Amino acid sequence: MRLVIENVSKTYRGNVQALRSFSLELQPGVLGLLGPNGAGKSTLMRILATVTQATSGRVLWNGTDIAREPDALRSVLGYLPQDFGLYPNLSAIEFLDYLAAVKGLDAASARRRIGELLELVNLTEAARRPLSGYSGGMRQRVGIAQALLNDPKLLIVDEPTAGLDPEERVRFRNLLSELSGERIVILSTHIVSDVEAVATDIALIAQGQLVAHGAPEKLLAEVSGKVWQVIVPSAELPALRQKHLVSSTAHRTDGVHARVVADAAPMPGARALEPSLEDAYLAALAAHRTGPAAEAAQ
Amino acid sequence: MNAFRVIYAIARADFLERVRRYSYLITLLFAVCLGYGAGTGGISLRLGDYRGLYTSAWIGAMVALITTTFVSLVGFYIVKGAVDRDRRTGVGQILAGTPLTKVSYLLGKFLSNFAVLLSMVVVLALAAVAMQIFTAEDRTFHAGASLLPFLLLALPAMAMTAALAVFFETFRFLRGGFGNVVWFFLWTFGISLPGLMARPELDLFGVWTVYQSMVPAARAGIPGYVDSFSFGIGQKVAQVAPGFHWNGVEWTAAVVLLRVGWIAAAFALVLSGALFFDRFDLSRSRGQFRVKPKQGSLAAELEAKPAGVSVGARTAAPIHLTPLAEHAAAPAFARIFVAELRLTLKGYRWWWYAAAAGLLIGQFVAPLEVSCGPLLAAAWIWPIFIWSALGTREARYGTQQLLYSCADILPRQFSAAWLAGVAVTALLGSGAVLRLALAGQTGGVLAWAAGAVFVPSLALALGVWSGTSRFFEGLYTMLWYMGPINRVPGLDFTGAASGAQAGRISLTYFVITAIVLAAALFGRFRQLRHA
Repeated sequence: MRLVIENVSKTYRGNVQALRSFSLELQPGVLGLLGPNGAGKSTLMRILATVTQATSGRVLWNGTDIAREPDALRSVLGYLPQDFGLYPNLSAIEFLDYLAAVKGLDAASARRRIGELLELVNLTEAARRPLSGYSGGMRQRVGIAQALLNDPKLLIVDEPTAGLDPEERVRFRNLLSELSGERIVILSTHIVSDVEAVATDIALIAQGQLVAHGAPEKLLAEVSGKVWQVIVPSAELPALRQKHLVSSTAHRTDGVHARVVADAAPMPGARALEPSLEDAYLAALAAHRTGPAAEAAQ
Repeated sequence: MNAFRVIYAIARADFLERVRRYSYLITLLFAVCLGYGAGTGGISLRLGDYRGLYTSAWIGAMVALITTTFVSLVGFYIVKGAVDRDRRTGVGQILAGTPLTKVSYLLGKFLSNFAVLLSMVVVLALAAVAMQIFTAEDRTFHAGASLLPFLLLALPAMAMTAALAVFFETFRFLRGGFGNVVWFFLWTFGISLPGLMARPELDLFGVWTVYQSMVPAARAGIPGYVDSFSFGIGQKVAQVAPGFHWNGVEWTAAVVLLRVGWIAAAFALVLSGALFFDRFDLSRSRGQFRVKPKQGSLAAELEAKPAGVSVGARTAAPIHLTPLAEHAAAPAFARIFVAELRLTLKGYRWWWYAAAAGLLIGQFVAPLEVSCGPLLAAAWIWPIFIWSALGTREARYGTQQLLYSCADILPRQFSAAWLAGVAVTALLGSGAVLRLALAGQTGGVLAWAAGAVFVPSLALALGVWSGTSRFFEGLYTMLWYMGPINRVPGLDFTGAASGAQAGRISLTYFVITAIVLAAALFGRFRQLRHA
């Protein structure tokens, strides 16, 4: 099982470049695709889901070009788009049964699968009520269930935890971890903690380009020894932000405790900290913005 | 903020949103086609067997009438939906949280509607000038005679059309497909009312105004003329009446005042719409496009309910999904067809099904002529909203990405959706076809079959290409009114009026069906490629 993305670019009308020569190779596991808003994550997801075609480059699923033969991938694809709708007059069971039929599942398998999925996403009680009465989180859970209907080999989930409450979010993360054994899962999000919890591999994307790719440990190693905690008065925080990359702050009685990513201690008394994935992410983005790639993109 | 600036901002944004779509080019193309129809005699104004010389006055009045009638009829379907778009995109929710008043909002939408219709009027006014140049029957151009009919006949009619489109959107029951059907009958009524009642103040479309001016001139100038005045598509070629000269409508203060009165009425209509407009209050609307939580709904109920198990227990609960067996993915067309059929028939109230059953039973028990005539006609307008959802449902409810990422979507889901439409059509008309078959009327059965596949195919094609249900609802209502109801030869797709021609007519409809179906298929293929 192998998904290869080769030099994929996508240009929208008005010469808006959403992706620029993006390349990546994926094998079973969870890929966390991280990037700021507008980085090109959803465009990449749509291309991988065969909903949109790349302007140039190609995507190979087990050696087959999905632009030429999309059905080779579609039959084993589970896709949860960032923005999707439901038919309001159908119940969750009816809607899932409808999509199961569209995905080619036989009636008996679909019935069993739908029952399990509804249990999994905690919608069994509401399963027979019209979708028009569902909340945003419940809709999202129906979306998650439909993505898993056909036991997909490639599962693409775009901002899947949006609208979920903390309990459901944790549950969904666990589910992704469970599912990742024999399939490729691509989790696109800008929520670092979601990726941190489940990803076996991380790709950072910014301005349509691949900024970094590797195991979480590799990304963490990039900022190892570069994360500091400093305590400054509130008034000095803006100056600190001007000078250094501040990844988080917390107000305490002795001043602002700021988490700073810098090659060397930003000030006397700075305490070295264990880096987090968020530090690594912010540092990589900052380096990309100020680096030669950014200049080339301008 | 200045109210005028707010109204302008609403109108401008809405207008720009529309004119930047490809569909706007089609709108302008429609106006060009009307102009071409007038120029080539396809749409004409006749006084019995005669017409007037193509002077500025004649051409101006004729093209202005084309504008007031055809553009108002079709233009309504083009501009209706400005409020609905805000409802669907969620912009309405943002606007609802601002100090924007209902009146300002509706006036802005009205002005945007009016601007779109105005652009069509401008195209037709230019076409009128061009027509005089190219026909060259009278080389003297009189700007007033040529253009005043556009200003005084067309603009008030467009203002009312724009206002009615907004007004319809403020009522829940007129907002959707029912309103589209109502408009056609309202328009028909509006065209004929001033003539029937001889009341010029009811003459929105200006036909009566031109009639009152032209007919006395014709009586004086055309020997043997008997007040015949016709205006329409595909009339016989008329000859120029010798010795007849018409200088155009005399724009007296009374006439101008009546016309300006329509513009005032349009504003009044928009203002009165504010009384009924829900201002995007979800608790007052039903059947939202994107499913959003509602207060007091199941969502609120369930979220308020404490979970049966603790947070820790639920999140830690083992996750188990039975792997699908190899044979589980065995595409069965019947399954997806049943799913599509269920989707097609869901969401109607009990009385809809009761009326459908009544029409069906009626076809079995009524005399054959009634069964295949009025009852079949009624049965084939009843599911209009089922048909108009074909091809548009995915965009309307935002399920394209979910569906378009599935395998074999075109041969399976698309075909199943079409077949579900055909099944509904056939089911509702099954009483009539059974009676025809029992009576041995093979031609009638064939014509019925052609109609049964033609209607959903047309709906699917128009839905896929226009992305909205409005065009089918408008066009089909017209076709149904002219064909099955008024038995215009060739337009009765139910076959009831075809008689000995049934075989030929049904063959024509089978060919048209094949063409529109191919167009629908190509349209969906394009959507799949460029989603």
